[in-house]
Amino acid sequence: MTAEKFDMAQEGRLEHCEGKPVVLSTHGLTKEFGSLRAVDNLDLSVCRGDVFGFLGPNGSGKTTTIRMIFGLIYPTSGYVQVLDHKVPAQRTSALRHLGGFVDDPMFYGNMSARRNLRLLGEMNGHVTEERIAEVLDIVGLLDRGDSKAGSFSHGMRQRLGIALALIHDPDVIVLDEPTSGLDPQGMKDVRELIRQLGAQGTTVFLSSHLLHEVELVCNRAAILSKGHVIVQGPVSELHPASHAVKILTANQSKALEIIRAMVPAGGVREDEGYIIVDSGDGFVPEMVRRLVAGNVDIMAIVPAVEQGLEDMFLELTSTAEVALPQAIGRSRKGGRL
Amino acid sequence: MSSIRREFVKILFQKRTFIGWGLLFIIPFLVMLAFRFSSAGPGRGGGGTADVGAMIFTQVRTNGIYLIVAALLAMSSFFLPLLASMSGSNTVAGEAESGTLRTMLMQPITRGRFLMSKWFVANVYVAICVFLLGLGSLIAGGAVFGLHPLKLFTGQSIGVAHALGLSVAAYAFVFLGMMCVVSVSVLFSTLTNSSLTAAIGGLVLVIVMLVLGGFSVFDFLQPYLFVHHFDAWTNFLSSPVQWGPVIKALINFAVWIVGTTGIAYWRFRSRDILS
Repeated sequence: MTAEKFDMAQEGRLEHCEGKPVVLSTHGLTKEFGSLRAVDNLDLSVCRGDVFGFLGPNGSGKTTTIRMIFGLIYPTSGYVQVLDHKVPAQRTSALRHLGGFVDDPMFYGNMSARRNLRLLGEMNGHVTEERIAEVLDIVGLLDRGDSKAGSFSHGMRQRLGIALALIHDPDVIVLDEPTSGLDPQGMKDVRELIRQLGAQGTTVFLSSHLLHEVELVCNRAAILSKGHVIVQGPVSELHPASHAVKILTANQSKALEIIRAMVPAGGVREDEGYIIVDSGDGFVPEMVRRLVAGNVDIMAIVPAVEQGLEDMFLELTSTAEVALPQAIGRSRKGGRL
Repeated sequence: MSSIRREFVKILFQKRTFIGWGLLFIIPFLVMLAFRFSSAGPGRGGGGTADVGAMIFTQVRTNGIYLIVAALLAMSSFFLPLLASMSGSNTVAGEAESGTLRTMLMQPITRGRFLMSKWFVANVYVAICVFLLGLGSLIAGGAVFGLHPLKLFTGQSIGVAHALGLSVAAYAFVFLGMMCVVSVSVLFSTLTNSSLTAAIGGLVLVIVMLVLGGFSVFDFLQPYLFVHHFDAWTNFLSSPVQWGPVIKALINFAVWIVGTTGIAYWRFRSRDILS
């Protein structure tokens, strides 16, 4: 599976959003820190109503991109556009249409969650107590609204960050790894929340290093590696068009012999005791007939889709780079570099 | 206005704000007690001009108004600059340290407005410090030693109301001097992500200026250093008031305040927020 194949699949469907307006886009966005090019000529476009996954291993430039979206750092070249407003040139008017957080969301520790939302929310316009209660309720913090934000755990701050993002009902909310560092239940809750927001028509820009997460909640995604966008498009099309299956038999060596005779050399390999065959439609029934004819008892045949996706992610994000698969290995454990 | 109110609310939620204010209010009472219950006057405090200090401190017990002046003399050389430096340094670096700087700047507010609101509130904090020092001195001195007509350095005697008016002028002058320290610290605060570093930076600058003042080789520098002008308030206690040194000092302060704040503004607007 190669990057070129995906690029071809994307052609012609990047900008038009099927008639919906583009609410957030980057245009040749580039950021250099000294000699390091952290973000390189990034062109993203997010349509209204998208839950857009911004996927990449740690250190691929996701947070740097989000800092530029919010105007916290200045691009070396290129710009961000939020509706009609360009960042950094028209930063404050763009920010009225944006909500979200970057990195770990931090609040005034001596103030209650409620007061934090009032203080920060009022910068976007008038905020009523009802609205504060509403957003606290959405993120499940209503009963902790009067607790000091300084007493909040990491996961609670992530939720408070989402509450603040929602308070002025912005056109796009941008969340930087909102599930990082959460326990499994917390991750599930936050993903469910994002899915609900998406279902209600809120446009969400979600950065993540977890392929699985993006698959679960996003409808469109871009994969970032070393500051480049490698693939961008509907999540359904990010799947490799693979018909690979995993086969387990009573006699793997004999099975391998039989299968090798059927497909080109590159189409077969072994992994963790399974034979993995990547071949075209209609291959499996014929293979089963031959295995049975060869007296090989078949224990299991399962689709190898998950395997294919992981491989693709690894392959895409590690092009000509040895260190990256290790970085992804670490990120899979949920830790942050 | 709303951004100034917001910054003011923030400092009201910090304990150290009230610790600073409380200390400045209480210190005059401690000084009063020291004078009240010791037979001989205490050693000369502060770094003020020797004759002024000696004269004031020997007479505190005869007139509460001297306590108002003595407190200013004792506090203006170190303790007030310390608080001013902490106030200024906390502005940007303090928020960077706690991670709230990015939270703030992701809301629709211009960097310039954010910084100037912070600068303003940092100065208001110091103004309240200076005010409480004066108020504490007035209460402590007035209650124990009484308020009597004041004998000026130049020999004339002035009434209580006139003396209090001159004291207000002296306190206001010292506040303007402290604005220099606040502004320098705000500048340092935009250059680092550690408020402690910024506070020390501000204090070190004050101390370096004081040290330079001790060497005649650096006399040519003196007029340009704001610390050198801190004592000029004593000119309010002459009759007639010696305006020359006061005006020179005010020009110096204005240049430092506008200069350092201007650099901070320019620097902060173009800076990448990576905290």
